[in-house]
This record gives sequence, C-alpha cells and structure tokens, in this order.
Amino acid sequence: MVGRFLTRLARGFHWRHLIPLALVLALAAGFGPASGASSSTSQVKMGGVVTIDNVSGSTWTCGFNPYTQAGSAGQAFSAGIMYEPLWYVNALNNNQRPWLATGYSWSRGNRRLTFTIRTGVKWSDGKPLTAADVAFTYNLLKKFKGLDLNALWTVLSSVSSSGNKVVINFKKPSVPFFYYIADQTFVLPQHIWSKIANPVTYNNPKPVGSGPFLLKSCSNQNIVYMRNPHYWDAPKPYISEVRYPAFLDNQPGNLYLAQGKANWGGQFIPNVKAYYLARDTKNRHIWYPPSTSNVQLYPNLTAWPTNILAVRKAISYALDRSQISKLGVYGYLPPANQTAIILPNYKGWYARGLANKFNYGYNPSKAISLLQAAGFKKGSDGIFRDNKGRKLSLSILNVGPFTDWVAEVQIIVKNLKAIGIDASAENVSGDTHTAREEQGHFQLTYDQPGGGPTPYYMYYQMLHSANTAPIGKSAPSNFERFRSGYVDGLLNSYSQTASSSRQHKIIRNIQRVMLLQVPVIPVLEGIYWFQYDTSQIVGWPTPSNPYATPPPYNYPDWAVVLTTVHRK
Amino acid sequence: MTIIVRRLWFFLITVWAALTLNFILPRMMPGSPTAALMARYKGRLNPAAINALQAAFGLRTHESLPQQYVDYLNNTIHGNFGLSVTFFPSKVSTVVLQALPWTLFLAGTTTIIAFVLGTFIGMVVAWRRGGVVDGVLTPGFVVLSTIPYFWLGLICIYVFSISHSWLPMGFGYDENSNISLSWSFIQQVAVHALLPALTIIITAIGGWILTMRNNMIGTLSEDYVRMARAKGLAPLRIMVLYAGRNAILPNLTGFAMALGFVVSGLLLTEMVFTYPGIGYLFLQAVDNEDYPLMQALFLFVTLTVLVAILLADVVNAVLDPRTRSRE
Repeated sequence: MVGRFLTRLARGFHWRHLIPLALVLALAAGFGPASGASSSTSQVKMGGVVTIDNVSGSTWTCGFNPYTQAGSAGQAFSAGIMYEPLWYVNALNNNQRPWLATGYSWSRGNRRLTFTIRTGVKWSDGKPLTAADVAFTYNLLKKFKGLDLNALWTVLSSVSSSGNKVVINFKKPSVPFFYYIADQTFVLPQHIWSKIANPVTYNNPKPVGSGPFLLKSCSNQNIVYMRNPHYWDAPKPYISEVRYPAFLDNQPGNLYLAQGKANWGGQFIPNVKAYYLARDTKNRHIWYPPSTSNVQLYPNLTAWPTNILAVRKAISYALDRSQISKLGVYGYLPPANQTAIILPNYKGWYARGLANKFNYGYNPSKAISLLQAAGFKKGSDGIFRDNKGRKLSLSILNVGPFTDWVAEVQIIVKNLKAIGIDASAENVSGDTHTAREEQGHFQLTYDQPGGGPTPYYMYYQMLHSANTAPIGKSAPSNFERFRSGYVDGLLNSYSQTASSSRQHKIIRNIQRVMLLQVPVIPVLEGIYWFQYDTSQIVGWPTPSNPYATPPPYNYPDWAVVLTTVHRK
Repeated sequence: MTIIVRRLWFFLITVWAALTLNFILPRMMPGSPTAALMARYKGRLNPAAINALQAAFGLRTHESLPQQYVDYLNNTIHGNFGLSVTFFPSKVSTVVLQALPWTLFLAGTTTIIAFVLGTFIGMVVAWRRGGVVDGVLTPGFVVLSTIPYFWLGLICIYVFSISHSWLPMGFGYDENSNISLSWSFIQQVAVHALLPALTIIITAIGGWILTMRNNMIGTLSEDYVRMARAKGLAPLRIMVLYAGRNAILPNLTGFAMALGFVVSGLLLTEMVFTYPGIGYLFLQAVDNEDYPLMQALFLFVTLTVLVAILLADVVNAVLDPRTRSRE
C-alpha cells in the first residue's frame, strides 16, 4: 500500500477555493477550537461536507459491488458506507463494537458462532434487514467462489438463520476468522441479490444498502454520497455529503489537498510539513499510525547462503533501520524490530524482556563477528567467503516502480556492503516480483505481508506451512519457505482458542522463534497515511482517541470515521 | 479508381494481420492479471483472495489457443470485448466509451489546431525566410516543442492556476457537477480544456512548422513558382495556391497518421491535468495485464490509424495526379 502511494511522487500546488475558505474563517471566528475527540451528541452540529483525497490512480466506473476488488471497483466505495458488516474490529488496537449484530457467542468448542442481528434496520428501499439477509450473504459467497475474497468457506461448513439469530458452523475451530466473518463481510439485501444471475460480474450501479450514506451521483471523476436520513443509528451520520474525486496521479491529488479543497487525505506527501501543514497550522493535522504489518526482507531458507542462521542474524544486525527510514521515506515509517511486533499498536503482545535479551539492533561489529564465527573469512576485496571460497553475495528482489522501496533497499545494500556482504538490488515490475516470490526464485525479497487486528494474522501469513510451497510451486505468502511443526502447532492452537491469555502466550512463543531462527527480517513498520483539516469538520481519529484506522482507503473503517466526524 | 481498390485490399490484409498480432502479443507478456492485482494491493489483500480472483476473472479456462483465437475473432467482429480486469466487472466497451469522447474532443481539436496553425506559420516563415518572423518564430517554436511536456504542464498550472486563479488546474469539468447537456456544463468543459489544449498545441506545433517550412522552401525554388512571379501574380496567391498547395502534400499523410493516433490518448496530459481519457486506460491495461482492455484499445488504435492512412491515400490520389498515373 505504502508503495502504491509513494510511487507517485508529489510535485506541486493547487488553486484556491475562496468561498468555502471564507465560510471556514467565519465559522472558526464564531466557535472555539474543538478537540479531535468526539463530543457529546447534544452539541453536535448537523451538516457539512467531507471531501476525500485518496489517489487511486484510476477514474471511477461507478460500480458499487462490495465484493469486487479490482481497480476502481466496488469494495472501496461501498463497503461499510453502504453495505455494513456485523461487527466492527479496529485493526489498530483490536477494540470492537457492535454494528449490524448486537451480540455474538462462540459455542461447541469454538465450532459454532451465533450472531444476534439488530432489529429495526432498513434497506434504503424501505424493506427490513433481517437475519435471513445475513445468512443469504454468507451462502452467496459459498455459491460464488469469486466473491469469497477471504476464503471463508475453507473453514465454514454451514450458515443458517432463524428469527433474529444467524448460526455459523465451522469445519474446525477457526477463531481468527471472526475478523473476516464479522468485520470484512458486508451484508447484502436478499430481495435484490437473489435475482442477480452472476453477482461476481454484477457492477451494481444503483446500490440499495443499509449504511449511513446513499449514492447521490457518480461520474468518472467524482462520486458524491449523501446522508441516509433513515439510518438506523440516527442522528448519525452528522455530515450531509461525502465527495470522492478521482485522481490519476499523486501530484494533482496532493495539490488538491494542500489547497484545502479536500479535508480528508490518505496521501503520501513528501515534506508534508512545508507542503501541507504550514499552510494552516491551526487546522491542519497529520497522524501516521503504524499499520498491521512490516515491510521486511524474506530470506530464501532453501538456498545458500540465506539458509545459514548466522547470515540471517548478521543481516538483521547490519541494518541501520532508522537511517533506512530517514533516507528512504522521510522518516515517516518507524523502524521495525526483529520480533515483527508492531509498536505501539501491539504493545500488549510484545515480549519486551525477550527482545531486550536478544538485543537486535544496529550493530555492524556484532554482524561481522557472527559471520566470522560461522566460518566466513574476508577476502582481499573485503567481501566474506565461506570455507569453499564462495563469495557471500546477495541479490535483493524488489519492486522497481515503488520508488520508496527502491530508496530503502539502496540503504540496505549499503548497510550489507559495510559488513562485507556483496549485496545488490534487483528492481523488477510488481507482477514479476509477486510471481518470483511465490515461486521462490530469489535470495532475499523485499515485501510487506497482510495483517489484522492482532499479530496472529501477519505471523500466520508469513510463517504457517499452509501458506508455503516447494520452490517452483506457488506459495501464497510464506515466501521464505519456513516450515516448522512447532510454529504450525502454535498457530493452530491460537486459532482454536478464544482465550486472550492463551493467545498472548502463543504469540510470545512465536516471537521467540522470530528472534532465535530469524525466518524473516523486519525492516520498517507499515503505516497508514492520514491528513485531516479541522477548519470545517471535527471529530477525526487521533492518537488519544484512535476509534478507527484513520485513512479513507480502509474499509469498513472509513464508514466509522464518516459517522463520527461532524461540523465544527 | 483501381488504385483505391488496390488500397482497400491492402487495408483488409493489414487489418487481419493487426488483429492476429493483437491476439498474440498480450499472451506473450510475462505475469498474469491476478499476480498484477496482488502486487497492486500489496499487504492489503488477503493472499487467500487469489483463488477468488482467478474464479472471478475466469482465468481457469482450459481452451486451446486456436479455439481462443477463433472465439476472439468472432467476438471482435461482434464488438464483444468482454469484461475488463482492471475495472472488473465493468464491460470493456463501457470503460472505453466513457473515456473516448474526452480524448476525441481534446486530442482531436488540438491536433487539428496544431496542424492548421503549424502549416500556416510554416508557409509564412518559409515565404519570408531569413526575415524577422522566421528568425523568431521558427527557433522559438522548435525550442518550445522540445520542452518536456510534464514540466511545461506543471509550469502552466503554477502560473495560470496557482499564482493567478485564472484557469482550473485539472479535471475535465468542475469535479462537483454532473455531466449534462446544459450551457453551463459546456462552458465548464471549454474552460477546463483550455490549459491542457494550450500545452499540447505549444509542444506539437513546432514539428508542423518545421516540416512545412522545409517543404515550402523546396517548392519555392521550383520553376512554376518562378513562372508565377514572372507573370506578376499576387504574392499571397503564389504563396498559398502555387507553393503551399504542393508543399502540403507530404504533411497530409503525417496529419492523417496523427489523427489516427488521436484515439491512443494523451497519457501525460491526462496525468498532469487529471483529465479523463484513453491514454491512462492504456497504461493501466498494460500495468494490470488486462488482456481484454488491451486488445480492445490496440485494435481500436490500429483500425483508426489504418482508416486514416487509407483516407490520406485517397486524398493524395485526388490532389496529386502523379499517384494515379501508374495504371
């Protein structure tokens, strides 16, 4: 994600928008500064417009199918805001709150999940939303594999409804799937979608949803949403309109934001202080919280020399992560640590004592001594060789169009050369990068896994043997080809328990594996890009009130933000 | 007349060759649409989604290549290009038709304006070669045409949209209004097209001036021009009807090809000015291994260029008797 925005480097400015500016000033003069935290409902003012600035690199096609992922389609424009999930899970801190369901419970040894569906919710065509709609939605994903983006039906066995309850049965206990089932599945109206012959290819130009906003108009360069006056959580939403213009390139997108034409940004802006913040220091803010996974180096564990533990450890010690961050991405991405635990998001999970004991950190002399202890000797060119005389040279596979990643890997190469590893970068196109990673044709590869509300999701993707494959076969996310019965067992038992203390113990043990065996080398923590303007609209997520992941490109979280913010 | 029939045959064979190449080339590209999509959504798409995406895109077909080729020809003839992968699940035809009017309007008008202006200026500066006009305009426009377009666009935005809020900095029309056939909407479109059009014309005109000037200087030394002068004809008449008419012939073919390429869009203009159009579609189609969209766009461009060249041949045959004389 990071890369996608960074690839388009920003370059300019934008024109003025005088009338709203005058309004802002008038409003700002009349009312004192409101803090970002949500104020009590009685004081909330209705009305106001939120304009989103998020470069997607494509014009809109005006499709609102919440199960289409490609390009400018569906999900990013309808999930949460029109089609709602059952339960909200905040990926920043795992805080949860009810959405279309009012409660849930696990039973039968975590093989059954029962949701109680909220009553009194209406679709925008006036028909009631029922538990039958919810069951219909899950069963639709079973019938049409192309909709099942989170592979729910690899663990589900049946879904049925009775009264206001929806019963979800599992083939095997899979507690972490709660996140995908409750937060990442969006309920569809049965009376409409049951008549659609192929929902996979259905564009859904006239969406009928239950969410806080309705479609007002859509053209290839702008989507306008209006407040749903019959929303079940009245008086939310407080704002009357949301605008989402389409930008093809980062530079015009940043210009638009800097000129104050948009008040909610999810943009990478080089030198954001001078370019964005300085133009209105009172009302403009940024917050770039860490996201749910790291940008990291995956060593190929099946091939020399990255199959040698000392080499992997030496690489981790050789990296000057704060310099990589500073020179690569203006210091926006914080340095990661060897446990891969994202701080401060997952600080409750972090095995601090353990990490301190291993004390991974920038230490080139330690890296050199590790290599020497493993039998490597420096040649006359300053490069290490093993006892067979093989030169310790490493190529890092990277995505060429992601300019930030290219800059970061340049520093990594410099760091590795400094300890006597002959490193080089190999910058290829995005899909070649993906294909070669999946097939295992690399020595080291630079990439970022997916994540979730707890560290489990990231660990599962990068360490579980279910996600790997032999070299030459496609591995979905365990590119380094790590196989450990012990770690598989830990991850499996995590997915069978809903007990927080057991889960914490498991994650702690996985961190020990990360420190002992260095299967993956985290470099920088991923972040969310978030700029906001409080001159007209307040109530945005802040570090002290992180009620949702803050960027406009995260769903269903953007709907949580849009139902919380209000006029100043 | 036979020349035109011969040209038509040649045209049909070229179309078939283009259609076939259009089928083969995208299939020789490395990678796959799902890999491209996964790459684009780095870290955000559940790796498990790849199975769902393959099912959705219909990529698990086991049709043989010859069968695919026959289907492709059949679908193409019927104008059925399938679903775009980039804009899934929109139809390729919908996606293309949404962008096409903007490209035709902006690229079409600017190409015509640049050609007409460039040809006229080229004619005048050649007539007065060595004069002040030639000394200023010719090198001036040549220098302008070598400026990197991206940079020129940004400078124009800076001067006209930021320093002075004279013109909008982007979009095809005011981003908060809807497409309609009202007078105010047409005004918006015109105002929004001004800056992109200006930058395109500035960078494109130099080439036309230079070629026209060179052709013109050649024809000016011809005997029939000297003859016309000796007869005492009005200079304007000699310049336009004697020298100009003959000098423009080679340029016409160039113009026809430029018109043909109009449909391929203006990638840089679209990116700098956030202008809707075909150029960016092209980039996205290639980036995302979107075979259906790529095939439709390439086919479209090839056909337009071929038709334009055919027309230029016909016009040449009409204007220049020598091309007809081989019978």
